[in-house]
This record gives sequence, structure tokens and C-alpha cells, in this order.
Amino acid sequence: MDFEVLLVHSLNGLSYGALLFLVASGFTLIFGLLRIVNLAHGAFYLLGAYLGLATVAATGNFLFGVLVAAFVVSGLGLSLERSLLKRVRGKELPEVLLTIGIAFVIADLCLAIFGGDPQSMVTPSALSGAVGLGSLTYPRYRLGLVLVAVLIAVALYLLQRHTKIGAIVRAGVDDREMAAAMGINIDRVFTGMFAFGAALAGFAGVIGAGLLPVRPGVDIEILLFALVVVIIGGLGSVKGAAVGSVLIGLIDAYSKVWVPEFSYFTVFAPMALVLVFRPVGLFGRTA
Amino acid sequence: MTRLARPGRLVTLPRVALLVTLALAVAVPYVLRSYYVSILALAFIAGLLAASVNMLAGQMHLVSIGHAGIAASAAYAVGWASHHGYGHATQLALALVVTLAVSAVYGVTSMRTSGIFFLMVTLALGMVVFGLTYRLSRVTGGENGLPGIWRPPVVAEMWQFYYLCLAVLVLAVLALRVVERSPFGLVLRGIRDSESRMSSLGYSVAANKFVAMIMSGVVAGTAGVLSVWHAEFVSPASADFLRSALAVIMVIVGGVGTWLGPLIGAGLVTGAEHLLSTHVERWPTVLGLVFIAVVLFAPNGIVGAARDLAGRLRRSRARRGHPETDTSAGTPPAATEDSVTSSAPNR
Repeated sequence: MDFEVLLVHSLNGLSYGALLFLVASGFTLIFGLLRIVNLAHGAFYLLGAYLGLATVAATGNFLFGVLVAAFVVSGLGLSLERSLLKRVRGKELPEVLLTIGIAFVIADLCLAIFGGDPQSMVTPSALSGAVGLGSLTYPRYRLGLVLVAVLIAVALYLLQRHTKIGAIVRAGVDDREMAAAMGINIDRVFTGMFAFGAALAGFAGVIGAGLLPVRPGVDIEILLFALVVVIIGGLGSVKGAAVGSVLIGLIDAYSKVWVPEFSYFTVFAPMALVLVFRPVGLFGRTA
Repeated sequence: MTRLARPGRLVTLPRVALLVTLALAVAVPYVLRSYYVSILALAFIAGLLAASVNMLAGQMHLVSIGHAGIAASAAYAVGWASHHGYGHATQLALALVVTLAVSAVYGVTSMRTSGIFFLMVTLALGMVVFGLTYRLSRVTGGENGLPGIWRPPVVAEMWQFYYLCLAVLVLAVLALRVVERSPFGLVLRGIRDSESRMSSLGYSVAANKFVAMIMSGVVAGTAGVLSVWHAEFVSPASADFLRSALAVIMVIVGGVGTWLGPLIGAGLVTGAEHLLSTHVERWPTVLGLVFIAVVLFAPNGIVGAARDLAGRLRRSRARRGHPETDTSAGTPPAATEDSVTSSAPNR
């Protein structure tokens, strides 16, 4: 295997990892604050992807599609949190089961509305085509995806560390009762975070539609990868989500080339190792 | 359930009801059309899987959303052996080996987790099995699955197979009851109540969780073998996330931690799935709404609700001065068991 081929596969892995980060960061943020394992996150992704496709098909504007998807999915997340999840706040199992129910409904309605055929996003002209890197060329869209993920990661970091909202969220993660006692409306913070996480999933859906064809079942697949990423990185840790995404993205890309039949297994193996030796994940905190 | 049968009274209402139900179950193939016999057999198989999930959920508050993966592994083992021309005994032996191996993987990866982390790990494991059933197409037949896996000649007819399922279900439920009442069951509940206490008493929390997972896995694997014999076919759908999720919802609908609840839940869900889904076009939507409704309105399940009701009735009777009922017998024994759905997580 020569260097250039290796580089191409590494870039494939990195770009897939970038997409995984967009999904996993929302998932892990929701868990970190609300302690909800949101199994509807994959369905949010799927819905965002279809909404993005429909909007782009109607208006021809990619950016508009991204905004509509993120906004609508976020609104959906907000109303679901207000109407359903709020009723079982603090009860782990009912929360998970509720999100499973929500996931079934959303995925099935997507199938009813958008059909079962795989659909792909037509990449915007600014991001289509390929870039020359020395002697090889690489799709511009995938490189753009990596850039977007890095920008989001930096933005999340700055938001968490250097803004008042970030401080409120960190206080809520550490001790929600105390945060509430200090006069923070923790309920509203929870709802906001859930909506924000949903927006990230919807956003990732539109971006991901240019990478993976959208079809029924993508929701489950992307959810599995997000789960593995956050289990490896540590639930609730954005840093862990970043490291886990890159790791899983690369492993997935390499294994698809070298051992295609076992590509699921190779993703699972590092997860098993982490669980056996460090059950809370690489950057997780013990409860 | 145990305390409902007060000492000195051999004939109690629940016992009579149980015997009548069993007699009815035995009579079914003589009365109903074979289509319904087949669906009842499916319900028994689902009950087996639900019972295996319930063992971990009830005894240890470890809710697995990946048990269909274990069942499907056993089913694929039977299918693979059958396709390679091995006899039924070899098929069963291979199914046992695969079940033990897969359960061991589940056990090792999940034994140091609890609560929501356990749930996520089993979920991911189940999805990995599902992925493997697709990708390892040389072994699993990929999306097409493995057709033409015949039942052993003794249970070739559906009514014969029905009795096999019934017998296996009864035996498995009894075996799980024995485990529950054994010292080992006590250790499991000790771990559920306080892991740190049990480990400072010298018990290995992880090892006991591992053994519990193996036991539960064997029951799930048995369900897998029966299901492949029922359909005479196995496909990736058997390892689907939906199947694992349904097993959990059966347990919740019926009542976590009760032996009867998961069986009732399995009957209801299987019945709804096969009798309703042909008439309702958007079946997954209905299912999702049922999930939501159950969680919001019946978190303790049917058996839990019935117990609450019975307990309340008995207490009000005791208050009105009926000497035959003392309140101590009337306290709902589910006080610790039903808290899996209602307790706040430990933080």
C-alpha cells in the first residue's frame, strides 16, 4: 500500500469522523446536561436530511436547506422535550423508552412522506469538484466537511468556556440543584440544550446527505456510530466525542478497505476494549 | 406473588388461575385453527426472550436493549449448521456454543457498567450483531437470510412444535424462579440495591453480573433456536433493534420484576403485532405511540397495576376490620421491584 492511497483513506476516515462528531456532539451534550440517552437522535438526523433535501430541491440554495433543517428539527426537539420528556424527568428508563417511541414514529413518518428510495444531496457549486493535493485529487465537499466540524468544535469549546451560557450549562452539569438554587431556571436550560442538540443532529443530517445517501435505516446506522463514539470518548464529554469520532472514522475507513466483511466488528472492538479497561470512556467522569 | 399465597392455604386464587390457564394452553391446538396456534407459539417464544430480559431488569435493574442479538446469534448458528448439512443435535450444540460465546462478549463488555451505561452497551452490541448478520454474508446469507431450516421430525407439525414451545417456556420460567430464590439470586438483588456494599462484603460485582448475563443469554438463545424453527428461516430482521426494543416493552407492559408480567406483555405485543399489523398500514408509528403511552400512563405495567389495586383493596378491607387479612400480607411485595421504572438514577 503506497502512501497516496493511505492518505486518501485517511481523508475518507477523517471526513466521516467529522460527520460523526456533528452527530455525537449533540448526543453527548444532551446526555451531559439532561442525563437523557436520546435514542431519537438518529431519527432527528434522518428528518434533518430529508428536510434539507426537500428544501434544496425546492429552492436550490444549500445554505437555506441547512438552516431550515436545523431550525425545524430544533423546534421539534423543543416541543417534544416540553410535552413528553418533561413528564418523566429524572427517570432514566422511561426517558430512554420515550425516545425510542419518538424514533419509531419519526422514522416511519419519514418513510411515509419521503419514500424508501436512497436520495443524495447535490453538493453546492462552491463545494463540488475536487482539490488537487500534490499528485492526488480529493473531493472538496469532504474537506469542507472536516473544516465545518473543526469550526463547530472550536465554537462549542469557546461557548462552553467563555460565555455566560456556557458557564450556566457547566454549572447545570456539575450540580443541577445548586444551579437552580442560584436562581438559574434549570428547566429552561434543559429545554434549550435539548433543542440545541436536536439542531446539531438536523444540521448533521443535511451535511451528511452529501456524503451518505439518505434512506430508511440510516438513522439506526448513524445512531450506532454515535453511540460507539460516545461510549469510547465518555458520555457527556465533547472532547471525548471529538477524539472518538476521529478514531472511529479512521478505523471504519481502513477496515472497509482491508477487512470489509468485518467492518462492523472493527468498530466494536475498540469499544469493547475501552469498556473492559475504562468503563466510563476515555474522557468520561465517574458518576 | 410468593406472599399472596399465605401459609396454610394450598388452594389460592392465583394458583387456581394459573392451573386453569395452563389447562387452556394445553387445550389450544384442539380448539383453535393452526394459524392461531402458530401465533401463540410465537408469543411463547417472545415470552421466553422477555423473561430473559426481565431476569436482568427485575433482579438487577440492568435493562438490556440488545437481547435480540443473542437470540439471533443462536438462530443463525442453527441456520448455518443446517445449511452445512449437520443434524439437529449438532445444530443445537453449535447454537449453545455460539450463545455462550456471544453472551460472554455481552457479559465482559457490560459487567462493569450499570444503569444507563449498561443499556447503551447492550444496545450497541445488539446493533453490532445486526450489522454482522448483513455484512458477514458468507456465513449469514446477508440480506436474504438463510431459508429452509427444517424443524426436527418430532416437532414437524405446528401443534407438536406448539407443545415444545409451551414446555420450554414453563421450564424456563421455573428455572428462572429457582435462580431468583437461590442464594445467587439474593446476591444479584444485593448488587442491585448497593454495589459498593456487596463488594465490601467480598462479592465480586462484575463476576456476578457476568454470570447473570450468561444465564439470561442462555434463555435468550433458546428463544432464538425456537424462533428459527418456528419460521424455518432466519434473516437480519431477527437481530433488528426493533426486536430488542419490543422485548423490553413487553417486560414494561407486563410489569418489571414479576414472572408473570413479561409473559402477559409478550402475549399482548405479539398478538397486536400479528393481528393488527395486517390491518394498520403505519404499524411502526402505532408501535411508537404505544411505547410513549405505556411509559407515560402505565410505568409499572399490568401486573404492577393489578398488585397496587389488590394491595389497596386488601388494606381498605383490613381497615374496615376484617380479621382474616392482616396488613403485613397486604403490603405490595413489588415495593422494591417496580422501582426500576420509577427510581431516580444514582448520581
